Amino acid sequence: MTVDSNPRAQDAAAIAPVVLIAGAPGALPADLSQRLNGVSVRTASSGDAALSELKTGDVSLLVLDHSISAPPAIEVLCQIRATAELASLRVFYCLSQGPELLRKLVQDLGVDEILFQPVDPEELARQASGVLGLSVLPLSTTESEEEFHSAVADIWERSRAAKIESLEILDDAGAALLEGTLTGAARQAAEREAHKLAGSLGTFGFAAASRFAREMETTLRSGTRVSESQALRFSELAVALRLELERTPNPNPVPTAQEQPDSRQAALLIVAADQDLATKLAEEGVSRGLRIETAFDLAAAQSFLACERPEIVLLALDGSPWAEEALNLLDELAGAQPPVPAMVVTGSNSLTDRVEVARRGGRGFVSKTLAPSEILDAVVSFLDRQRPDRTRVLAVDDSTEVLNVLKAMLEPHGILLTTLQDPLGFWDAIETCSPEMVILDVDMPHLSGIELCRVLRSDPRRAGLPVVFLTGFSDAETVSRVFAAGADDFVSKPIVGPELVTRILNRLERARLFRTFAETDSMTGVASRRKFSRALDDFLRLAHRHGELLALAVLELEGLSALNARHGHAVGDEALRHLGRLLGRAFHSEDAVGRWGGSEFVIGMYGMSRYDGVQRLGDLLADLRARPLKIPEETEARLSFGAGVAEYPCDGGDLRSLYAAAALACRQAAAGGGGRVLPAGWNPQARDALRSVDVLLATGDEAEALLLLHALEAQGCRVRWLRDGQSVLRLLGGAEPDLRAKVIFLDVDLPGLDGLSLLKHLAADGLLGETRVVMLTAPAMGDDAPAALALGAVDHVAKPFSLPAAIRRIRRALEMDGAAAGSRQPPERRNDLPSRNVP
Amino acid sequence: MGPHTVSRRILIIDDEEDIREIAQVSLEAVTGWEAITAASADEGMEKAEREQPDAVLLDVQMPDMDGPATFRLLRASPSTSRIPVIMLTAKVQAADRRLLAGLGVAGVIPKPFDPMKLAAEVARVLGWVDGATSEELRDGG
Repeated sequence: MTVDSNPRAQDAAAIAPVVLIAGAPGALPADLSQRLNGVSVRTASSGDAALSELKTGDVSLLVLDHSISAPPAIEVLCQIRATAELASLRVFYCLSQGPELLRKLVQDLGVDEILFQPVDPEELARQASGVLGLSVLPLSTTESEEEFHSAVADIWERSRAAKIESLEILDDAGAALLEGTLTGAARQAAEREAHKLAGSLGTFGFAAASRFAREMETTLRSGTRVSESQALRFSELAVALRLELERTPNPNPVPTAQEQPDSRQAALLIVAADQDLATKLAEEGVSRGLRIETAFDLAAAQSFLACERPEIVLLALDGSPWAEEALNLLDELAGAQPPVPAMVVTGSNSLTDRVEVARRGGRGFVSKTLAPSEILDAVVSFLDRQRPDRTRVLAVDDSTEVLNVLKAMLEPHGILLTTLQDPLGFWDAIETCSPEMVILDVDMPHLSGIELCRVLRSDPRRAGLPVVFLTGFSDAETVSRVFAAGADDFVSKPIVGPELVTRILNRLERARLFRTFAETDSMTGVASRRKFSRALDDFLRLAHRHGELLALAVLELEGLSALNARHGHAVGDEALRHLGRLLGRAFHSEDAVGRWGGSEFVIGMYGMSRYDGVQRLGDLLADLRARPLKIPEETEARLSFGAGVAEYPCDGGDLRSLYAAAALACRQAAAGGGGRVLPAGWNPQARDALRSVDVLLATGDEAEALLLLHALEAQGCRVRWLRDGQSVLRLLGGAEPDLRAKVIFLDVDLPGLDGLSLLKHLAADGLLGETRVVMLTAPAMGDDAPAALALGAVDHVAKPFSLPAAIRRIRRALEMDGAAAGSRQPPERRNDLPSRNVP
Repeated sequence: MGPHTVSRRILIIDDEEDIREIAQVSLEAVTGWEAITAASADEGMEKAEREQPDAVLLDVQMPDMDGPATFRLLRASPSTSRIPVIMLTAKVQAADRRLLAGLGVAGVIPKPFDPMKLAAEVARVLGWVDGATSEELRDGG
């Protein structure tokens, strides 16, 4: 199919260079044929169609979309590279992302340019113009924009008189306010008028007038309680409003309501059941220049989120009746596009399960014991980490005028521009400002931009630095000279603001992506060791400042060398990639995942205890086992790993000591047969492993017991199941008990000896200090739960129970620890939660 | 600005003539959609039933019958009950806007709006934007 919406392209069709767009969606072909002078654009919707188009031999440039099928894009590329006649074909590849593929495409398959999805039609047009030596036509929208502005101006001219006349109502109201004689009806009429003006003037390019009217409306709404100074201010505003409307409207109106402080979206939404806390947090936030919204319950939060999108949500619902439902809110936030990050304030006697929060996409934790100012510090530092630093760009041009224009255009976009007039100072400037991008004038005295660029490209340290040229000429010869010197892009003078800004931002984004790839382990997609170390240092600094914990896990994939020996390295590599994918899915932005080397991975989990870490790694292990690796010509291989988890600050204060502690535990796990996650400092000799379990399930219901047994074991707990009350009492009771359990999950309807009676016996034997009971109560018996709690149970779950809820309560009971029950403070933590994942 | 291949018809209901005109120009010139206007709730109801627009832009504050009442009317009539409605409002209090969102409208666009961006805003609210779908993005993560 040929797209020929450009008449100029039609004229030249006989000799026009042909671009074939294969698989790229929507308007891209039409856009390209409109923007490139004298190009002929064809399209193909499958790999086969593309290959047969290419056989015609007249295609100069192929734009290939990664998502094309029959055959897939990579296969198409391989066929092209195997065909001698197509050696000179230039290829642009449209890619969503993927570091592995990128290297292959550029190095092995000789792709000329990578375009990232969604493809920017302007970017495509520019790159294609460079390759084909065609000039880019001006954007046709400029014309229609002008037309549009003049239409807006026409409408204004027609309604202006009526608007100015309506100001009289406001003048009168102002006078009456000063005299104290404004009646109810007049006040309402004036308020209505002010409201209408506030809502409409901005649209015509009178942003300031809209703000004045808004302020007047607010004054009028406050009714009779208007002070004299407010009345004076009102009259001044009426005058200012009139003066504004006498002027010509701003031809480039950008008066969106979003820019007014009181209607902008809130940067921070505080959801807190405790109104006192919410108010304090809000005050702290406002003093830091944040825009704050508060919601005192989930419903309010949800209806707010329905119409606005905050930058971040702070959830402080610990201990409130909605603590569990709040997790659903986390789901919603994580599912938003783009996701809204949420931080969770957790109490000292925490009911919030950090692991569950992380699984639902929560990004961080702050302890409720911190002062409101410290909590806001944590929020602000999170936001800072989300926002990139100012980008440094160096511009070299002999004209100060051009440099000033560049500065004015780029600085509002967060770019820190260093300007240089004398090209001889280029090297000094590069060293001192170490820019992320360079803008060069082509023609300068002493040294031309092209020479500078050539030298830059020959320096291996700077070879990847993006260079954009400014040139007075866009003829094919200049363009090809510029590209031959190694330029990434060029912009013709006179500089058109939006065009330059778009191009520069595009370039920077692309350079950043490439840098990300350099910091990524190309095999597994997780961070390189260097990148991980840097991220973990940041986490440690934060943890220190906010008194938070941090868990560091070391994980070793098992049986890799056997896999390599038996099936070859390709399969071994695939196993690493497989694990890398699961790691990427299980851990998020407040975690750092890196490949330490070989089959060893490291994971930093901010705000997580050693217990939390063991549980998350246990989840990962279960996940890995549930997804065996497919091996060609064989069935599949089940993968497994051993891991150790250390905790900051009690196992170490820096990466090195934490790593050593976690690696030791990881080796212990491997020595014990692998497939286990162990906490650092685990000492099996200190306890009698046979006689001690984490959880004792005391229930006569077999289905229920097996369900819990498997779920708990998958999370690394030692579990024993007993089906009647007498045997529980026999094993646990007496001076020399045969069994110790940290937690008993006790069914109230236990055969042999019912749950409540058993609980009484346990209490009488003084066992309820070391052993904590979670009672499973029957639905019909309303007073079981209070009875159980009165007898010393720490918690209860009602039948029928949901598995995750029951597991959460059992885990919570496991973490309670005698007098220091539930404390997250490091000194009170114990090291003895072992974890075994039963294969 | 990419070409919009699908033609849409939008009904604007607002008692202020200049706002009707400018919204119409905004939608038509910037996107090539068709915009029709009505100056009151009554006229709006009649045009919504007859023209079956793809969406309605509805002003909140109007004499006689205000936006929320008009919205309820639109919902009550079987021939218009499925048309998505976007409220235009100069109310800036979050509580006011929450109240509007609670009615079940498709979205709320604050006034004053930028005429250059009105169409994009409407498209965003109604999910008429091309490009990477949220599903793709989620799978990638």
